[in-house]
Amino acid sequence: MKNMKLRIAFIILLPIIAFAISLVAGAKMINPFTLDEVSREILFSIRAPRSVVAILMGMALGASGAVLQGILKNPLADPYILGISSGASLAAAFGIIAGAAFVGTFTIPLLAFIGALATGIMVGIMGWQRGGLWPERILLAGVGLSFLFSAMLMLIMSISSDEGLRKAMLWIFGDLSMSEWPKVPYGLVFVAAGIFGSLFRAKALNALILGDEFAHSLGFSPRRERLILFISVGLLTAASVSLGGMIGFIGLLVPHIMRFFIGSDNRLLIPCSALGGGALLCIADVISKSVLPPMELPAGIVTAIIGSPYFLYLLRRKNVLSI
Amino acid sequence: MSSASEPSILELNNLSFSYRKQDTLIKNMSFSVGQGEFIGLLGANGSGKSTILKLGSGILSPAQGTVLLWSKPLQAYHNKDRAKLISYLPQTLDIAVPFTVQELVGMGLYPYDIPPAMNVDSALELVGLQDKASAYLSDLSGGEKRRTFIAMTLVQGAGLLMLDEPLANLDIKYQIELVRLLKKLRDTKNISVIMALHDINIALQFSKVMLVKNGALLGTGKPEDILNEELLKDAFDVQVSIMRHSDGSSFIRYGDKN
Repeated sequence: MKNMKLRIAFIILLPIIAFAISLVAGAKMINPFTLDEVSREILFSIRAPRSVVAILMGMALGASGAVLQGILKNPLADPYILGISSGASLAAAFGIIAGAAFVGTFTIPLLAFIGALATGIMVGIMGWQRGGLWPERILLAGVGLSFLFSAMLMLIMSISSDEGLRKAMLWIFGDLSMSEWPKVPYGLVFVAAGIFGSLFRAKALNALILGDEFAHSLGFSPRRERLILFISVGLLTAASVSLGGMIGFIGLLVPHIMRFFIGSDNRLLIPCSALGGGALLCIADVISKSVLPPMELPAGIVTAIIGSPYFLYLLRRKNVLSI
Repeated sequence: MSSASEPSILELNNLSFSYRKQDTLIKNMSFSVGQGEFIGLLGANGSGKSTILKLGSGILSPAQGTVLLWSKPLQAYHNKDRAKLISYLPQTLDIAVPFTVQELVGMGLYPYDIPPAMNVDSALELVGLQDKASAYLSDLSGGEKRRTFIAMTLVQGAGLLMLDEPLANLDIKYQIELVRLLKKLRDTKNISVIMALHDINIALQFSKVMLVKNGALLGTGKPEDILNEELLKDAFDVQVSIMRHSDGSSFIRYGDKN
């Protein structure tokens, strides 16, 4: 493809530009060259950690979407299709409504993470047959669990008090307002582990897209590769949900947008989807804070409103679309 | 062309295999592939040709028996090391592949840390697709697709190619060219080929044929010894006639001589 290096350089710049904008822009514009005490506080203690969390979460969603569409060989797969997010939301909502606070502000993210991991393991067990994970089984197990957990979530919410309900709703629809510096190292570890894990197996993922027999012939063990990739996706999804709830669009469509520009080789697609996802969520978060201050719109709504028309535009303009 | 004295690359001893417990698909089968051999695997649909290739390449593990690659058990090889020695091309290639020709052929390099002799460009030239390097696989014809996968196999650089019906969906010209190309590689790079195929006339040009029926070998040897009216009738349940051409070569005609 022509100008490939230029395109990659541009994609690398995206989250950096988004981060810079997110520091300056918001309900109040801050001139970074003339900082007073209050502005400095807003910039370093409120905006910077929130932007970093948004970027980390967007990266996790973009990368896990790309990997999952590959392992499930399904262009409609996104990190939420495995039910991991429903499990996380259920655990988190339970904690919020019960008013749990055994580890302070970390309680809800921790519960979400536990819920996500438990669901991931359940999907893995149900998708396991004859010594390996099977894409169709993973998908169906995920969809089945997702329905079950969503129903349980609705049940809890329908019998809970108004205050807890509102908080839980906000969290489920993606809430980055609780982002503080202490969340960053924790998020960074899991997001980095997941992205490196899948990047390390990107060649195997390419081969798996051709089919298990090709992957075998090219020197990979399809079952082992799929397991490693599944664990990476599980970590990424768990980390993203516990960082800021559920934010749609990114995991599903950012990988497709990236395919239009850099093709389907997962060695490029995974990192580029991560970078694009991080940039998009960071910008969407700025917009969500700035449109109707002091009210914040859920970031997931903004990602979909600015992302979908662009995706549809690309879909009409370019003639390639497959996983 | 081939003889028993040549070292055998792949040796299958007393293999049995079944997908389901009640019916055994491959029954006590033994054969070997020597270096430089060009073997045609013939048999009716469901006779076990594909299963034999999958057992030989390690995709399936036999219930009984052993598969030796260069005298060492196949499963004792590291996946990547095995991939440098054997490559297998499945029969069905009509999969949705989002890659370009160049990207796909480049996947043949995956088993290697240091790239081998054959590079993507020269493999594409060998199969006549150098002009399509940046085309998406989904935009190619069935024959071009198959040649792209063959190019990937060539880049993989294995000494033994196990090809499941590589001639299917190819027009006659490319069938002939593909067989010619593989023979050329046999002569220049000493590769061995075992392929499942349906065209008995093409199998007549191979150094060895194996005739399979119900998971057992009906016969194996030089095509002129094996591809006779009797055995073919037994294998395919059709009457064929061996015709002799004025230049001394023979060919098969379906139906009897009248």
